[in-house]
Amino acid sequence: MLGGGTRDARRTERYLDGLVAADERRASEVPADADLDPAIRLAARELRGSLTRVHPSFRFEESLAARLSAGATRLKAGLEAEEAVAAGEPGTVASFRNRAGIVVSSLPAAEPAEATQSSAHAHAVWPPAAFRRLPDMSGRRSRPLIVGGVGVGVASAAISIGAVYVAWRHSHPASSRMGRAARAAHGRTGHSGHGRRAGVINGILGVVS
Amino acid sequence: MFRTAEEGARPARLDRDRGLVEAARRDPSHFDALYRKYLAQVYSFAYYELRDHHAAEDATERVFMQALAGLPRFEERVDAFIASRAPLSTAESTDISTFRVWLFRIARNVVANERRRDRRRPVSSLEAAAELAAPDDVVDSAAAHEAIGAAWQAVARLPEDRRRAVILRFVDEMSTAEIAAILGRSEGAVRVLLHRALRSVAEDLASGERSGRGSRLS
Repeated sequence: MLGGGTRDARRTERYLDGLVAADERRASEVPADADLDPAIRLAARELRGSLTRVHPSFRFEESLAARLSAGATRLKAGLEAEEAVAAGEPGTVASFRNRAGIVVSSLPAAEPAEATQSSAHAHAVWPPAAFRRLPDMSGRRSRPLIVGGVGVGVASAAISIGAVYVAWRHSHPASSRMGRAARAAHGRTGHSGHGRRAGVINGILGVVS
Repeated sequence: MFRTAEEGARPARLDRDRGLVEAARRDPSHFDALYRKYLAQVYSFAYYELRDHHAAEDATERVFMQALAGLPRFEERVDAFIASRAPLSTAESTDISTFRVWLFRIARNVVANERRRDRRRPVSSLEAAAELAAPDDVVDSAAAHEAIGAAWQAVARLPEDRRRAVILRFVDEMSTAEIAAILGRSEGAVRVLLHRALRSVAEDLASGERSGRGSRLS
């Protein structure tokens, strides 16, 4: 046995379903239970007309799509979807500002520079003003540009790999005729130069023998 | 192959997003299709809750990043949602997206955190409504601003659970079952929430009319 409140709630639900169905078939008439409070009907129609879906700017859409794509790539590589860099940790660095005071580092690389419209052009709305406005990026929270922490780790790893390659290359002189001729002309053997160069490289790498 | 609930299949098979979800789980780069499909809905939910475009963008970004990262854990939540439902009719089952329910659960949490974290709401309902009304419609724009502003204010004054139910129902066009799953309430409770919300809005709009503010339908 349904109580009065439950019955009213079910009537309201049926009316709301009817509103959506009428919109879908572009009908103006919405079937309503005679017992449904007219004030509820009026409020439902008012909200149906006023609470429209809002679309973000396409610039934001594409920017987030790029971030998700990068996250998907990281996931495929077995990493976290998003690099977590806690505020205040080594490696987080404040934004840069250009002469106009616009936060530069907050703009994803894929976004062009004209993302600095006035705040009056805040978004695109759909419908009815779809695609009308450009987004305002000037007031957005900046995304940190990583120049330390992970970034430093990557950079130092690259330097180390480069140094190791140089050391290996020096310890494995080219075996071409030209190479052999050049070494003969300078009167050096592979081994005589090796120790000296290896010492230099080891010095660079900080290897203590 | 999709089967109906009457055939005794696992209801999760009926999820309309199942193909997209499975593709995204096999290869995360296919998550883009789900993102494009639900971007406006998630963004709208965040925008109506937070009433600020920048905050809504940040929340939307967090929702989709969390969804992408959490997709491998999605399946058991699907089962939990489906298990809580009565047997589904064929027509009803074809309209169910448990992925959408799961996504909006994330959105609900993100938005709730955002609201807790930042109690400052500098953008009023009327301001936000003015943003929504089309300035091209010169004749109607003033009336539209006023009507939308009145509706927004009425919705903004609702208690949290009623307001969320209204937004999910009117903006995201969700069924009672979906809203119930997102809010963690029974379907009966959601029906009553919506009914009471509409009654409050009706009273609010009526008092606005009495004080001289026009309604679009009056």
